[in-house]
Amino acid sequence: MLGFSSAPADGASSTGDLVPFSSEARATAVCPLHHGLKPPISRLSISWARGNSLRVSFFRRPSGDDSEGDEFGGKVLEVRLSGGDGDGDMSDAQFRRIAYGSVSPFALLQSRRNSAASLSKISSPYHVEWWEYVMEYSKDINSLLGDPKSLTSPAIEDPKAVLQKAEEPICLKAAWDVMEIFYADKQSQSWLPERLVDWLAAYDGLLSSTQATIHSQLVSFQKELVALQVIEDSPKYWEVLSAALAVGWLDVVVKMLRLHGSYQLDQIGNRETENGLVEAVAVLISKMPRLRPELEAGRLGECYRAKPDFVKAWEKWRAHITKLDCSAYWVRCDHNQTREGLRNMLQIMLGNTNSLCTATCHWMELYIAHFLYIRPFTAGLESMYSLAQKCMQLKPMTISHRLIRLLLGIIGDNTEVVLAECSRAFGPWMVAHAIELLASGSDQAETLLREEHYNLGGISIEELHRLVYAQVLSSDALTWQIAPIYLTSCIKQGMGLLEILLSKQPVQDVQILLKVIEICRLYELDSVSSNIMKIAGVYHWKHGRKGSGVFWLQQARDEVRLNRIAQQLFDFVGQSISDESFKQWEGLIELLGAESKTAGGLEFLHKYRDFKKFLKQVNNGKTTDAARQAVESLISLMKNPSTPRQFWLPILYDSLKLLSWQERPLLNVSETNLLLNKLQELSMAKLRPDFIEANLPPQALGSVRLALATNLGRAIVEE
Amino acid sequence: MAKSLVTLEKGTVCSAWNYCGQRLATGSGDGTLAVFDSQDPASSSSFTCTSKSRVHEDSIVKVVWVPPEYGDAVACICTDGTVSLCEEVKEDAQPLQWKLCKSFKSNSAKVLDIQFGISLRSLKMVAAYSDGHVKVYELLDCLELKNWQLQAEFQNVIESVFTFSKALCLSASISWNPQGGESQESSFVLGFNSDTSQLNSSKVWEFDPAHQRWLPVAELALPGDKGDQVYAVAWAPNIGRPYEVIAVATHKGISIWHLGLDPDLDGRLSVEKVALLSSHKGEVWQMEWDMSGMTLATTASDGVVRLWQSNLNGAWMEQAAFEPTS
Repeated sequence: MLGFSSAPADGASSTGDLVPFSSEARATAVCPLHHGLKPPISRLSISWARGNSLRVSFFRRPSGDDSEGDEFGGKVLEVRLSGGDGDGDMSDAQFRRIAYGSVSPFALLQSRRNSAASLSKISSPYHVEWWEYVMEYSKDINSLLGDPKSLTSPAIEDPKAVLQKAEEPICLKAAWDVMEIFYADKQSQSWLPERLVDWLAAYDGLLSSTQATIHSQLVSFQKELVALQVIEDSPKYWEVLSAALAVGWLDVVVKMLRLHGSYQLDQIGNRETENGLVEAVAVLISKMPRLRPELEAGRLGECYRAKPDFVKAWEKWRAHITKLDCSAYWVRCDHNQTREGLRNMLQIMLGNTNSLCTATCHWMELYIAHFLYIRPFTAGLESMYSLAQKCMQLKPMTISHRLIRLLLGIIGDNTEVVLAECSRAFGPWMVAHAIELLASGSDQAETLLREEHYNLGGISIEELHRLVYAQVLSSDALTWQIAPIYLTSCIKQGMGLLEILLSKQPVQDVQILLKVIEICRLYELDSVSSNIMKIAGVYHWKHGRKGSGVFWLQQARDEVRLNRIAQQLFDFVGQSISDESFKQWEGLIELLGAESKTAGGLEFLHKYRDFKKFLKQVNNGKTTDAARQAVESLISLMKNPSTPRQFWLPILYDSLKLLSWQERPLLNVSETNLLLNKLQELSMAKLRPDFIEANLPPQALGSVRLALATNLGRAIVEE
Repeated sequence: MAKSLVTLEKGTVCSAWNYCGQRLATGSGDGTLAVFDSQDPASSSSFTCTSKSRVHEDSIVKVVWVPPEYGDAVACICTDGTVSLCEEVKEDAQPLQWKLCKSFKSNSAKVLDIQFGISLRSLKMVAAYSDGHVKVYELLDCLELKNWQLQAEFQNVIESVFTFSKALCLSASISWNPQGGESQESSFVLGFNSDTSQLNSSKVWEFDPAHQRWLPVAELALPGDKGDQVYAVAWAPNIGRPYEVIAVATHKGISIWHLGLDPDLDGRLSVEKVALLSSHKGEVWQMEWDMSGMTLATTASDGVVRLWQSNLNGAWMEQAAFEPTS
C-alpha cells in the first residue's frame, strides 16, 4: 500500500516543531509501477476510475523487429492510491467489516448532533451530556477494532507461562484507544496515568516492530524459561522482573517471583530467610496502591478512588518498602542474585530514577514508570509533555513508531499534528472517525476542525476528511454504497460529490441502477436520478431492447427523446400502414401503457393500435357492432390533436369500408363533416414544403372524398 | 496496490475509459478500434476484448467517449486529421455491433483535439484544427449521432478582429467544464501549441445565447506568458467551491488557476494563478482531475505519473510520483 496520505490535511506541515515533516524537507514519495513490458514505452495515458483509483495505460513503441512476435503492445494497470487504513496492515475484508460497522455509530452521532443543535439554538450543542454521546460512539467504534486481551493476564493453566497468548492487537485499535483516553473519556481524566499504564500493557508488543521493548524481553525470556534449571541464578530473570515491575505488570512479576527456587518444598527449610524476603516483596507488590476506581478481576494492587485516601495509602506503602529495604534480613540472605535483584526491585518501587532507567527499554516505558512510582497524579497536559521530553532525553527511541508520534501529538496538545499523524499513519478511515473525538477534546480543537477554509473551497477540515474517506469508499464496488452516509454529513460539498459518484455508476447493470435510483430518492436528487434513467434508457434503446429503453426514458420523463422515438415509430408505422402485420410494433405500444402521457405521440400510437384492432375484427366478422366501434375509434383518432397529419389520409383510406358501409351509414352528419374538414386541411397542407407524402395509391384522396360525400348524403337522408 | 486490468495488442497507441470505468476503447496504428469490457459489471476484475473494427486507414491517435446520454459511442481522431464517430448499436435483425456513423473530414486543416460537452439539451463537439480554428458542432437529433450542424467557427483569440490564416498548430487541448448539463449553458477552456503566439494561451469560452455566439471570458496566462505554447488543459470538477479550478501545462510547468464564478461588467471572469508546479521534465502529455477535483494526476514525456494536491494553506504540492519499471 502506498504512503499516499489524504494530503490536504497535511496543513500541519507549517506549524509546530514536533511535526515529523515540513513542506520543504519532505521529499515526494516515488513509487515504482511494475508494468512488465519490454522497453521502450512510448506513451502513458491516465484516467481516474471511481474514487481514488488511478488507471495507467502503457504503450510500447512498435518496433520494426518482428522477432518478438509474442510481446504485448501495452498494458493497463489500476493503482489504488490509498486504502482506508493507512499503512495497510489490514486485509480488504477486515477493512470492509470495520467500514460497514462504523456506519451506524457515525450516523447516530450525527443525528444526535443535529437534534442537539436544533434543540439549543442559543448555546452550542456541547452541553454536559454531549461527551457521553461521544464516549458511546467511541466505544462502539472501539469494539469493531478487535478486543485484544491485555498481555499481562496471568495464565492459570501453565504455571510457567508468564505471558498469555492473546489475539494480535492492531495498531488502529491502539491509536483509537489512546485518542479515546485523552479526548472522549472525561470520566477517567482523574486517573489518566493509570489508563496509560493499561494502554502500554496492551500495546507495548506493537512497538516491538521498531524497537526493543519490555514485551519483547518477556517474550524471549518465556522461551528460555523452560530450559532453566535454577531460575534465580539467571541474571535475565532478575532483569525481566525489574523491567515488568517498572511498567506495572504486577501480575507477571508476582507470578515470576513465585517461580523462585526458594519456594520449592525441598529447599524451603534451608532458604527460609531468602524465601521470606521474596514473599515479602511479592506481597508489597500485590498491595501497591493504585489511583483508579477499579482493576480487572484477578489484577493486583489496591484501588483508591479519592486522591487523599490514595496519598495516605501510598505513603504507608512506601514506608513499608523503606522499612524492608533497611531490614537486617538482607545480610542473612545468602543468595547473591536474589538479594541484589530484590533490592533493585525495591529501588524501582521507591522511584529511583537510575533503576527505572536501567529497567526500561524506551522512553514510553520510562514515562509509564514515572507515573507509577514517581508522580502518580495528573497535572495537566503541559507537565505531561515536559515529562515526556525529559524521558525522551533519558531513553531516546531510535525510530519513532507511528503510535508514539500520535501520542506525542496528543500530549503536545497539537491538534494539527494529531490530525496529520492520523491521516498519514492510520489512513482516511481513522481521520474521518477520530475527528469526532478530537473535536470534543477542546473548544480550540473544535474551532480548528470546523472552521471553513477558503483554500479548501470553503469547507472545514472535518468535511475535507469525510470527503476523502468517502472517496476511498467509492473506489470499491463493495463499499461505495455506504459513501452517501458520509457525504450527506458534509454540508458544503458532500452533495456535489455524491452526485458525481452516482453519475459514475454503471447503469447497464440493473441492480446497480435500482440502487442508485433508491439513493437518489432518499436524498432528493431528482435531476441525477432522471439523468441516470435517461442514460439507461438510451443504452437499452440503442442495444435493441426497445421496450426497456422506452420504459426508462419514461421514468426519466425525457420528452425530447420520447418524442424522437415516437417519430421513429411513426415512420415505421407509416411504412406499413396498409399492411396487416402490425404485430412487430404492437408489443411496444402495449408496453408504453395506457397512461403514457409523457409523449403525445405515443398516446396516438396507442389509439391507433386500438383502431387497427377493431378494423381487423370488421374485416373478419363484418358485424355492424364491430364496425360501429371501429368508427368511434376512427373519430377519436381524427379528433385527437396529437394524431400526426401524415397519418390522416392513410387512416381514412384504411377506413374506406367503414365510410361506405353497405347496410346503413355509420357516420352521422357532424362526424362526416369533421372528416371532410380534415380532408380539406390535408389538401391545403399538400402545398406546403414540409408535407410528407403517404405511401398510398394516387387515387386515395379522391376515393376517400367520394366515400365521405356518399356517406354524408346517406346520413342526411337518414336524419 | 497496482493490479493489471488489460493487456493491449501490439500497435495500440491510445486508450480511453468510458464514464463509469467499465469499458475501455483503444486505438491502433493501423486504424483499428478495440473495445474491452469487464466480465462482471459489479467489479472491475478482468477485461476482455469484445469488439474490434477497422475504422480508418490511418493510425488513430486519440479516442474520446461520447457522453453516455447519447449512447455508447467514441470519436477517433486519426493522423490525417479526420474524426470518425463510431457507435455500438443493434439495428433490426443485425447483431449488436460497432458502426461508423459519422466522419468529419476536412480538406486542409487537421483535427488536433475534440471534446464533447452537454449544453442546453444538446450535445456539442468542440474541435480544434491545425490552422488554429475552433469549430463547435451541434448534434441535431438526440438519438442519432449522424446529423451534426456547425454551430460556430472562431479562432482562439481574445480580440476577434485579428485572424491568423497561416497559423501552424502542432497540438491543442480542450476541456469542458465538467458541470455542464442539459439544463444550463456550458463553457470550455482551450489552448494551442502553435507558431502563432496569440493563439496559444488558454482561453475560457462561453456561449452567449443573446447574441448566439461564443465569447472568450477569461485568459489563463500572465502578461509575460501569453505566447507560451500550451500542452494540456484540464478543468476540475467543482463539488461546491466558490471558484473554478483549471490546470494549464506549458513548457514552464503546470499552472493552477482559480476562475471566478461571477462575470464583471464586461462579462469577463476573474482569474488568479495560484501555483506553478514544475517537477515534470519534458512536455506534459495529459492531466486528469479526480472526481472531487482535489487531486490532479499528470503524465509527461519524462514517463512519470505525478499526483498533486493543495494543503490547508492553499500551497500546491506533489504528493506522489509513479515511475514505471518493467
